[in-house]
Amino acid sequence: MTAFALAWRTARRYRARAVLAVVGVAVIGALNFDMLMLSRGLLLSFATMINSTGYDIRVAGASTLPLSRSPLTDATTLMNEVAALPEVDAVALIRTAGAVLAAPGRPPEGAELIGSTDPAGLGIWKQATGGDLTSAPNGATASAVISRPLAVRLGLSAGSTISVRVRIVDSLSAMPPVTLRVAGIAEFPFESQQASIVATTMDGFKAAYGGVLNDEASFMFARSRPPAGAEAAADAINRLRTDIHAFSNEQVIANFGRNAFTYFRQISVVLSATTAAFSMLLVATLLTVSVNQRLGEVAALRALGISRRRIASTLLWEAALLVGIGGVLALPLGELLATVLDKILRRMPGLPSGLHFFIFERNALVLHAAVLAVTAVVAAMYPVWLAVHLPIAQTLRQEVS
Amino acid sequence: MSGSGDVVVAQALSRVFPMAAGPVTAVREVSLRVDRGDYIAIGGPSGCGKSTLLHLLGCVDTPSSGTVRFEGRDVGALSDSERGKIRLTRIGFVFQRFFLLPMLTAWENIELPQSEAGVPAAERRARTRELLEYVGLSARAEHLPSQLSGGEMQRVAVARALANRPALLLADEPTGELDEATGDHIAALFDRVHADGTAIVLVTHNASLAARAKTRRAMRSGVLE
Amino acid sequence: MTLAVRGSWFAVRCAFVVLLLCGRAFADAAAPPDVLVSRQLLAKAHLKVGDVVTLSGDSAGSRARRFRVAGVYEPTPDPMKFNAERIEARLHLDDMLALTEDPADPSTSDAVSVINVTLPNAADQSSARTFSRSLSARTPFVVSAATADADNATFVVIDRFHTAIAAVTVIGSTAFLLALMVIRAEERKETVGVLRLIGISRKTIMTEVVVEGLLVAVAGAAAGVLIAAAAQGAVNRFFQHRYDTTLIFMRVSPKIALRSIAVAVPVGVVAGAVASWTLLRRGASSLVRR
Repeated sequence: MTAFALAWRTARRYRARAVLAVVGVAVIGALNFDMLMLSRGLLLSFATMINSTGYDIRVAGASTLPLSRSPLTDATTLMNEVAALPEVDAVALIRTAGAVLAAPGRPPEGAELIGSTDPAGLGIWKQATGGDLTSAPNGATASAVISRPLAVRLGLSAGSTISVRVRIVDSLSAMPPVTLRVAGIAEFPFESQQASIVATTMDGFKAAYGGVLNDEASFMFARSRPPAGAEAAADAINRLRTDIHAFSNEQVIANFGRNAFTYFRQISVVLSATTAAFSMLLVATLLTVSVNQRLGEVAALRALGISRRRIASTLLWEAALLVGIGGVLALPLGELLATVLDKILRRMPGLPSGLHFFIFERNALVLHAAVLAVTAVVAAMYPVWLAVHLPIAQTLRQEVS
Repeated sequence: MSGSGDVVVAQALSRVFPMAAGPVTAVREVSLRVDRGDYIAIGGPSGCGKSTLLHLLGCVDTPSSGTVRFEGRDVGALSDSERGKIRLTRIGFVFQRFFLLPMLTAWENIELPQSEAGVPAAERRARTRELLEYVGLSARAEHLPSQLSGGEMQRVAVARALANRPALLLADEPTGELDEATGDHIAALFDRVHADGTAIVLVTHNASLAARAKTRRAMRSGVLE
Repeated sequence: MTLAVRGSWFAVRCAFVVLLLCGRAFADAAAPPDVLVSRQLLAKAHLKVGDVVTLSGDSAGSRARRFRVAGVYEPTPDPMKFNAERIEARLHLDDMLALTEDPADPSTSDAVSVINVTLPNAADQSSARTFSRSLSARTPFVVSAATADADNATFVVIDRFHTAIAAVTVIGSTAFLLALMVIRAEERKETVGVLRLIGISRKTIMTEVVVEGLLVAVAGAAAGVLIAAAAQGAVNRFFQHRYDTTLIFMRVSPKIALRSIAVAVPVGVVAGAVASWTLLRRGASSLVRR
């Protein structure tokens, strides 16, 4: 009978404790797996969001922070210069401003007004229902695409009109409201879930300022032309002017990884380590108590000539079975738990709606398996030591007395 | 000096246990020779050192002084794994509390030492079948220890002890947990084992069991009389 | 009334940039106005109190003005900014406005980003909401909100997250605890069987088990709270060092200690009782039979 078979028989014989131990490992293992997913989840989620915008370069005013909105001056000239670069395939300017929506019978509602030279809104929004900014049957009224929460709150749909008054920061001046026609409803993955967003064309944005607006942009998107690639295109853009900074998506992602949400990376490391240590302690305690209960058996086996190696490998297999089966069950349980925890965390105010905290990746699975393997081995160390070093004669005497 | 007929020769064996209240000498200068075909019963009051002597003879424990030679080899000079090998292949142990593995069937308990000794599967099956028949439990082969009576469990334990055809069978109070009638069955089993050529040393309070042995020795305060 | 600078989600918007460092103060005809700098800025820019620095409202350095470092302050630990490097300074409001005003728009010399208001009954959040709504109605171009709704939401989320993790840990631990209790119960199988055979009732045995379980659970829970209290020092030191902040990340308050004990003790007692009941419901003779 192999050591594995003996271990399996032992688990079946002491079914209740084995099942409970497996459940315990599965639950704690699920938490550990989730923490492993959390450690890079935000970064992976952000990378997916950034890489699915359709652009691979972001240009900001001279700042080391790629996601800052320090303004780009002479934006139109810059856009033309960037578009003319052989490394660049497409360019879009984005401009943002605070605004207030006025609706009859309702208190004014703060919103963000976005102007884009890209009517499809690549990089900013994903069309959900209705048309985009190109559909404007009535040329006198600029079109707008609005966020779903805003649409729900104000009961708006394609064809509705909204009155938007842009807010001018640091000034007592006030602009008259401008009427925009809602062309469609969109998801704005980089804005928070409940954000009120109104996105329009650059002409519509300018109209909100009374038609008089300085030539600035909050930031610019660009798409590299193959085979140049994003890095080469970003370098070419950086050479155009000293007061701008172009970042490839990879650089943006790397910066995000360094600066944003580091708390969750730290907490995931702390909790991963804690749950792993916790599992080791619990499995070790269980195995030790189990061995202590069977000391007579172990001593008898040693007296019969069963080798230390066989006894040690049986105990190691017992640990491996508990941790292994529990660890496998931890995966679907972990996915379920991750859904719940992700739902809790995504309620954080201001969090981009497209961002998720828990993303499955192969590395997390590999690390989870490695942690389990180490847990099984370390947890078995003390009970194995106990079993192989027990004084046979003394134990036999104690069992009889 | 050992002869070709001896199985184990103990010379001036002593075993001292250090205790908090002072050292306790469980076995005191015991010399004993067990030849092939011997059947020795050792009796004595509780705590006189009988079980300790059995452990020393069976290479389960190491003496504080003196020597044990098993089939001519000085056990004290052997490594722990070599002693384990002797216990596995040359000695069989029968315990008062049976110590069968509760999760294995009678068949599997008997097969276990053979598997450890590397006996091929076909040979193991044949030997296990033979031993179950020998102890009269062929019909209970697939039963767990919890499904067997005390006497049946002890018979399985005897079969297990004989699995690797040992030269010496050591039994520590084999009928201690059994009623008289069942004990007699076990005693009869030991007679058969002895008749088949295995040397037996057993420790017992059971007078009728002791009476069946060829040699009866008494032990008192660690000294073998 | 205090002036607050609002930051965007992904970056802290800096209202000013330190341009130059001066090692020694010069005696100006008009002494430069005072500025307080954060401890982090003092260290990063190698400043000391008394130095004269030049501040500007933009990176081009336009309309730069000189200020004297009058003191250094420890930024109030702000959980919303704990991972941001607190490179900041505090000026008098009129100095700040002078730095940031737009000469083309005279009204910018009297404009602020945010006005914080403290009501007489600051703890009453519903009054704050009422005031905020009435202010929105009276000043349609101003968006106002009660801070309880804005800032606390993040910590409600974090609290729920931690509570969820704690709940999962308790469930996992309970499974292990039950397994251990089952083993302990099996160890006592014969003892329990003998007690039943000699006539001790199930109720008496169960009472003994519950009392024993209660003592062990209380001792275990107390030990757990002590270990947590010791661990909080290590956790806080780690994160405070990591983020260069004095923020407290973990605190074992009396309320939390009581809550932990309130969960641990019943779980321990019930686990022991359940495991023992699985024995007690069996016949006494089956317990003593080998």
